[in-house]
Amino acid sequence: MSSKEFFVNRYAMLGWKYEDVELKPAIRINSVNAREEEVVRRLQSLSVELEKIPFLEKGYWVSRSEFSVGATTEYLLGYYSIQEAASQIPATLFTNLKDKIVLDACAAPGGKTVQLADLMGNTGAIIALDVKLQRLTALSNQLERCHVKNAIVYNLDARYASKLGMRFDCILLDVPCSGNFSTDKEWFKRRTIKDVEANAKSQKEILSEAVKVLKDDGEIVYSTCSLEPEENELNIDWAVKNLNLQVEKINCYGEPSPTKIFGKNLDDQVENCRRIWPGKTQGFFVCKLKRDVGVR
Amino acid sequence: MKILKEFVSRFGARINLNEKLVVKKGNRYFLLNEKLKNLIGKDFFYAGIYLGKAKNGKFFPSFNLLSTIAQEKANKIFVDKRSEWLFICGRDIFKRGITNVVGSKRKGDYTLVLNQYGECLGFGRIIHNLYEIVEGVAVKNISDLGDFLRREKR
Repeated sequence: MSSKEFFVNRYAMLGWKYEDVELKPAIRINSVNAREEEVVRRLQSLSVELEKIPFLEKGYWVSRSEFSVGATTEYLLGYYSIQEAASQIPATLFTNLKDKIVLDACAAPGGKTVQLADLMGNTGAIIALDVKLQRLTALSNQLERCHVKNAIVYNLDARYASKLGMRFDCILLDVPCSGNFSTDKEWFKRRTIKDVEANAKSQKEILSEAVKVLKDDGEIVYSTCSLEPEENELNIDWAVKNLNLQVEKINCYGEPSPTKIFGKNLDDQVENCRRIWPGKTQGFFVCKLKRDVGVR
Repeated sequence: MKILKEFVSRFGARINLNEKLVVKKGNRYFLLNEKLKNLIGKDFFYAGIYLGKAKNGKFFPSFNLLSTIAQEKANKIFVDKRSEWLFICGRDIFKRGITNVVGSKRKGDYTLVLNQYGECLGFGRIIHNLYEIVEGVAVKNISDLGDFLRREKR
């Protein structure tokens, strides 16, 4: 059985029929730097056709453009970021970010860090980590371009976040994952179930560390761009059972996660996660976690 | 801080930076706020507002710093749309592309380059007195926003 057949059969077992997708590029307006209507007007004056993304507050699909939207004065001034539609969801799920101490545990290349700063209005503080030093340059460039003022960046593995000696109100865990075929045409050729399992293991380690540095009433948003349950629902089921976390209800694009996967019954709360199959957006998974205080 | 202040003064400008909130990491300068100052550890990579870096006795400003200077009384030229994009692509400014001059017109001085909306695109050096030159290159490009794109390719 080819790798593609193997994975496509798994998706079918989860209730999704494989289809090829062609993703539209998307942008997100950095409202702390510019007024949304003004940015849209200026891009339209350059003959860029934009379509509002119905499930995002500041997101637009680029329907047509004769040039890269990463090569405009407005982009270079930090008025918008190029950010795939589904990946714009996680940062919006925190209850309130103003003046909070936020950990962006796997931050590079920085699209979500900039979005967090925008949602925070540059108040509070973002501690942004990434394990790969060379990726911190890309992250720093994003922060400079988008005039982010409230971030501190460290070259640190998220699995050692407690070394910072801090506790956080909000933690974004956009964890390193196996990715999916909609953003990588070679995905099926390159990926094996062993990769998925290895990623799932390190994601559990990151989740465990995040719980150590989470304030008692803090929130964790966990996301991946993987379609594989080991990195998503199975990890969250494990976190509910082992890390004393509960899965909060969220209201965002995507469908409720299945709670029976490959014959295994998961905790009912896993249904509160959102699974996004590739189509309008890339494949994605997101959920919000809090400490379980025993009241549901 | 001296090198930074000297750089700013080359635009005929002054900015007020709270020196207690400026931190240096290697040769790079960052401006923090009180909250970040209280939280920051010694091993940080980037923090707050990046101001620029000093190298071989020269100061290389960030675009945040240039934007800050642009908000003050400083040498500035405003350029038309065509010159705006050429400048961002690394080209020099021709006299015919300049729509307005604020501050120095003197050869050798630094000047900020702004577009029709007053947004700072970078800076350059005046290479011919702007009150004399009729045509040709007037301002030599030193640094422009297109650097963000060029950095990605390095």
